Amino acid sequence: MSNLGVLLELHDVDVLRGEIADPRTVSRLRKLGFTFPVAADLDALRERLVAQLEPRWATQYERLQGRYGRAVTVVRGRACQGCFITLPTRAAPSDGQPLTTCESCGRILYWR
Amino acid sequence: MPMISAFGAAQLDPSLYIPELKVRRKFAVLDELVRIAAHAGVVREPEVLCASLNVRERLFGTGIGKGVAVPHLRSIAVIEPRLVIARSRRGLVWGAGDGAAVQLVLLVLSPAEAGEEAHLEFVARVAALGRLQRNRTRLIEAREFPELAAVFGEGAP
Repeated sequence: MSNLGVLLELHDVDVLRGEIADPRTVSRLRKLGFTFPVAADLDALRERLVAQLEPRWATQYERLQGRYGRAVTVVRGRACQGCFITLPTRAAPSDGQPLTTCESCGRILYWR
Repeated sequence: MPMISAFGAAQLDPSLYIPELKVRRKFAVLDELVRIAAHAGVVREPEVLCASLNVRERLFGTGIGKGVAVPHLRSIAVIEPRLVIARSRRGLVWGAGDGAAVQLVLLVLSPAEAGEEAHLEFVARVAALGRLQRNRTRLIEAREFPELAAVFGEGAP
């Protein structure tokens, strides 16, 4: 899988980790009928995903995740959805540079 | 990102509806739901979405009982909040707490940038609606999408 694919999956795993780390969320889901039958081994999965990344992206992801709580953000209408700055055209990904970061906040950008 | 406080045309889409599932295995069902969501342009990176849904499904139960499953995800691969609806009159083995075969799968998708509270509200409304017997019966017996949409249009109890 590409660095981008791994980063996106890692992002979703971290969203899920955040969800189950919140007792109020878990309580609410239980009341709705959802079950949590297995001790979630999301940390092991997370480690496996991080290990698949090129080291520089793994380091960057962890740093940004620690800083913002979300390392990857989407771009809509050329605006970074992390800090809402309008991105210059040169920030768009290219064949030579498939992954880019926001010049303002540094988050890894997911263009769609 | 608008709050997801009620069902509306924005979340219900006839192209996101499978009247009768041909597959019977849980993970194949999820793949099929993601496939039609990708086809409808609601998601990008369907492989990422499948992987994330499978993680949730492996670790937690999304069968809420009474023949209803509500897989749900807030993912960076989702473009807009949507509900994907699928039925199986024969029933699916889903591993729900009550052991009942699942006849109704209601996949709740929210973009990652939607707030957690908005996503949970969306999930809660879908789950509450699906757990009411009169709604389940109407959803399972609906012949056309507008009949089904009407149930959601009336909102959660």
